[in-house]
This record gives sequence, structure tokens and C-alpha cells, in this order.
Amino acid sequence: MRRFKVLLFKELKELLTLQMMIPLIIGVVVFLFIGNIMGNETERAKEPKEIIVLDNDRSDYAQAVANSLTSANFIVKHYTNITTDQAVEEAKENDISVVVEIPEGFEKGLMELKPMQVKTYSIVRNFSLMGSMTTRIVREVLNAMNDYISNEFMKSNFSVEDPESLKNPIKTVDYTLIGDKQAEIDPEAVTGFIMSQTILIPILMFIVIMFAAQMIAVTVASEKENKTLETLLSTPISRISLVAAKMVAAGIASLLMAVVYMFGFQSYMNGVTGGALNQVASMGSKEAFKALGLSLNTTDYIMLGTSLFLSILTALALSLILGAFAEDVKKTQGLVAPLMFLILIPYLLTMFVDINSASPAVRTLVYIIPFSHPFLASPNLFLGNYETVLLGILYQAMLFSILVVIAGKIFSTDKILTMKLKWGRSSK
Amino acid sequence: MEKALIVDGLRKSYGRLEAVKGVSFEVNAGEIFALIGPNGAGKTTTLRMIATLLTPTSGDAYVYGTSVSREPEKVRHMISYLPEEAGAYKNLTGLGYLNFMASLFADDKKQQKEFVSRACEITGLGDRLKDKMGSYSKGMTRKVMLARAVMTMPKLAILDEPTSGLDVLNALEIRNTIKALAKEGMSVLVSSHNMLEIEYLCDRVAIIDKGIIHVSGTPRELKERYNAQNLEEVFEEVAK
Repeated sequence: MRRFKVLLFKELKELLTLQMMIPLIIGVVVFLFIGNIMGNETERAKEPKEIIVLDNDRSDYAQAVANSLTSANFIVKHYTNITTDQAVEEAKENDISVVVEIPEGFEKGLMELKPMQVKTYSIVRNFSLMGSMTTRIVREVLNAMNDYISNEFMKSNFSVEDPESLKNPIKTVDYTLIGDKQAEIDPEAVTGFIMSQTILIPILMFIVIMFAAQMIAVTVASEKENKTLETLLSTPISRISLVAAKMVAAGIASLLMAVVYMFGFQSYMNGVTGGALNQVASMGSKEAFKALGLSLNTTDYIMLGTSLFLSILTALALSLILGAFAEDVKKTQGLVAPLMFLILIPYLLTMFVDINSASPAVRTLVYIIPFSHPFLASPNLFLGNYETVLLGILYQAMLFSILVVIAGKIFSTDKILTMKLKWGRSSK
Repeated sequence: MEKALIVDGLRKSYGRLEAVKGVSFEVNAGEIFALIGPNGAGKTTTLRMIATLLTPTSGDAYVYGTSVSREPEKVRHMISYLPEEAGAYKNLTGLGYLNFMASLFADDKKQQKEFVSRACEITGLGDRLKDKMGSYSKGMTRKVMLARAVMTMPKLAILDEPTSGLDVLNALEIRNTIKALAKEGMSVLVSSHNMLEIEYLCDRVAIIDKGIIHVSGTPRELKERYNAQNLEEVFEEVAK
């Protein structure tokens, strides 16, 4: 055990070097920086913004439009006696994004039940999403005005008590059924909720496996390249300890990186969404989600964790074998690259396809790839498909055992020194 | 006399290439024995098989009676191997490296300290041992490597081209160290293509070429047998 600890410490020291930490820190700082900027922009977008209302009608209804915009958190600059060009020029000079022009005869036209045109002039200064936000809000305000005006007309001119019912005589009530559970909720909201709860799992997995695979392959290849492996193999430490120390060190280092990256990524996402990701469940649907059983209990988390852990171990064992083929660090890049595709395939497929109802060929392909199972585990756990998850875990455990035996064989024989991958030539 | 090493018909093939074709020799306890021959003669492959790094295709070797094929882990407790191109962990200091390697051999902290202290003395590098190994010259690195190989006072030290690529003074220092250690009772198996230095260093030599040992004996015996001035001339005669 003492020798194992010494080896583990040495491996960690080799992996967690300054050269490796600097890009990691820079990556996180960039994430935090962008997240911060996005957060500030989102906050800025929420601040009251100036808007010009060019009122050519000077009527009560025109004033009501201006008042609605004020209620929607706009600072309204109300003009009645300038031209459209002057209003636009004023907006340009004062960094105002939108001019709303109410035509002459607006109120009269509405009274005669004629559709009236309200023109909006949006001054585009950039093509970011935030840039178009003001126009979007103005449109929503005008739509609300539409509803308000039409409701008022129906009430006063046709004595309709409930204009909303007249305009929308068919009402929909959405029920979603999962297994034998049912709740009154839009299925899209359910999908959105599940996505929000599981979005980080594939990203976490991708980062951990990418790093772990690279690192373990590099540790083996660099021992070969730096000619330290022979010395190490001739010492009285068991080959199992050697393999285990490399795997554990790569696992620890990659987990550390994943945690650091996740922290940065979460900050970035919070900045982008304004924390909306974490608020999905608080939008009045909590009860419905609960009724549908859309929450993971301790057993679910254990199963999900096991699936993730086995994926990482499988990636480590596979990379250890691949690393044994590499003669130097440069060659590990090419050798480990196929692993990335093995992660990308299930990631993309599970995002767009329902694997449970896919064709047998696609299903078999996805199930054979060991890294598919954590992607499939979380939706299956939400759906209560425990058998599928357990079978996946069993398959992963079996595959990992086989790979460990192969890795052990390579390290306990002279294969670790003699194995080479020579494209187009036989190895010796 | 006790045998430190008995090599019995060792063979090693890489696919269709047979690198070592049935090599046999013995090393007495406390003796410095050399395998000499040109590059590609099969010296390193033979040494790697004895050091348990390569599995023999056939034949076996016994270190103090323990088979390298059947009980490699036991053998690794008795030997120490210095590869020809032994590399260093460049991020470690010389002292850090010696400490790391000592901890893999030592049973406890006290023994580890003893190993490192011996190694430091052998290197003669003083405070430079506190510098990263990436900043060392080839001669300094080789001294640290040799010190690492012998600090545990193994029963059998296997040294592959110990002076390879070193200047005259560094090579001389390393030869003197090996001789001193043998006097303390350590058995040494060295390989070299430098036949003149081997003549100065070893008790007995074996000339190997194309995977076969052609002749073995003390340098004096061989020179007399082939009426040669030095081992290079002996090799020339043998290789004919």
C-alpha cells in the first residue's frame, strides 16, 4: 500500500503540472468572464430603456399606448409635433433603439373597427440577441394592447361580458402521462424540465472522459518516450499497482478538472440564462412534476453515479491499452481520438432520437457503446425503466472487467515494451 | 563458488526475427561479468530478459537460483537494472528522483533514507541534486541513474552500457564506482560495445554477436587464446 501511495503521488505530480493547470485556469477564467458579461448584459436589458412615442393622433387611445409602454418598464419620450424623420434622428442621437409611431386618426379608426397601423422603427446597432430585445418587448406590449382594445370594444359595443371566451371558445387543458402517473401539465414543459435537469450530465461526462483518456494514455506514452518505463518495470512493485496508480491518478485529475470546468460552465450558463436553468422547476409546475414522479431518489442517483463511474473506468482502461501502443506522446492523440467519437455518437443520438423506439440497428449500436449508458440512464430513471439501466450497468461492468484483464496482461508481460502500432506495416 | 546468475539457453524472437539464439553463461557472486559485442548483437535483449522486462521465447535464467520466467517478481527484489537510455522524470529534482526510486525498494523510511544517502554519495553531485533533472548534463544524469541502480546494494546489478555517451572523465568515474561496489560483494553484469573499457573493468567477458555467444573467459585468457593485444582484436578474430 505504501508503494502504491508513492506511485499515485508521483503520477499526480506528473499530471498536475503547471503547464497543465494554466490552460485549465485560463479556460475557467474565460467561462467566468463571458458568463459575467452575459449576466451584466441580461441585467442591463432588464433596466428601464428610453423609447420614443411619436403621437400623431393626440387622442386618449394614443395616450393609453404610451401608458402601456411606461407600465412595461420603458421611459417614454412622448412627441406630438415632429416628423418621423426627426423622431428617428432624435432616437439615433440619444442612443434610443425604438420609435413607435401612432398614426393620425388612430382613435377614430379604432372606433370604426378599422385595423390601424402602428409603425415601429428599430435602430439596429449590433446583431446580438440583446440588441433585438427592446423591439420584441414593444411588440408584446402592442399585442397586449390589441387584446385590451378588442376586449373593451366587445364589452361596450356588443355587451359581451367575457370577451376572452368569445375570442377563444376552445380551451385546452394539457395532461401528461408517464407510466401510470398523470398530471396536468404541457408535455413540452416536462421535456424542458428533464433537459434542464440532465443537461449537465453529458457535458460532465464528455469533459471527464476526454481528460481521463488523454491523461492516462499520455502517462503511459511519456514513460515510454522519456525512457523511464523500463526502470519502473524492473522495480519490485507489482504491475497491478502500477496500472492502478495510473488509473486512479488520471481519474482524480480528470474529476478535478471536470469540477473546475463545471464551475466555470455553470457560471457561464447562469450568465446566459439569467439563472433560468435553476428556476425551471419553480415556475408553478413543481406539483405536476412531483405527481409524475419526475424526481430522482437516492437509489436513482446511486445508479446514475455507478453508470457514470463505470464509463470513466472503461475509458481509463481503454486508454491505458491504447496508450500502450503509442511510442511517444504525440502518437497518443491519434490513438485516443476514436474514443471521442464513441462519446459523441451517443451524445448526439440521445439528444435527437428516442433510443427506445429507434430501429434495432441504431439501438444495438448505441447499446454496444459503453459510454451511451449514462446518457440513457437519467431519462430512463425518470421514466422508471430500471431494468434497462441495470442491464446497462451490468454490461459496462463486464466490459470494464475484460478491458482490465487485457490491460493487466499487457503490463504484466513484455507486450508493454514491444507493442507498437505501425500503420501499413506489421508490428514486431 | 556461489552463482549469482545462470543463463541457460535463452532465446528471444520478435516475429520472424530471432534476436537472441540460445545464450548460456554464468556470473559468479561478487564478479563483474561483461557481455561485449557490436550494436545489435543481442546484448540488450539478453539483459532485458534477465531483468524480467522481456519474456524469453525459450530457455531461462536464474538469479541466485530463482527463475526469471517463473518468479519474476521475486527476481526483481534481488536485481537492479540500468537501461542504456534510462531517462529521468524531468520535473523531479535529482534528490526527488532518488527518494522516489528508493521508496519503491525500501521496506521503511529508515531504509529509504539509507539508500538515498548512499546514492547521494555515489553521485558526488552535492547541492546540484536539489536542481530539476531537466537541467542536468548527460554525465550528471547518468551518474544519478547509476547511483539509483546500485543504492539498494542489489545482489545483482545489470548495467546496460553504463558509460555510453559519456566523456573520458565521467566514464572513468563510473567505472571506478562499479569496481568499488563489486569489491563490496555486489555481482555485476554489464554490457558494452566499448571493448577496451571492458578489459579494464571486468573479471570475465563473453563475446556476443548476432545473438550467439562465441567465446567467454577472462580478458587475459581470451587474449592469450587468440594471440591478441586487446579484446577488440579478439573480437575481430572471433567474428571471422
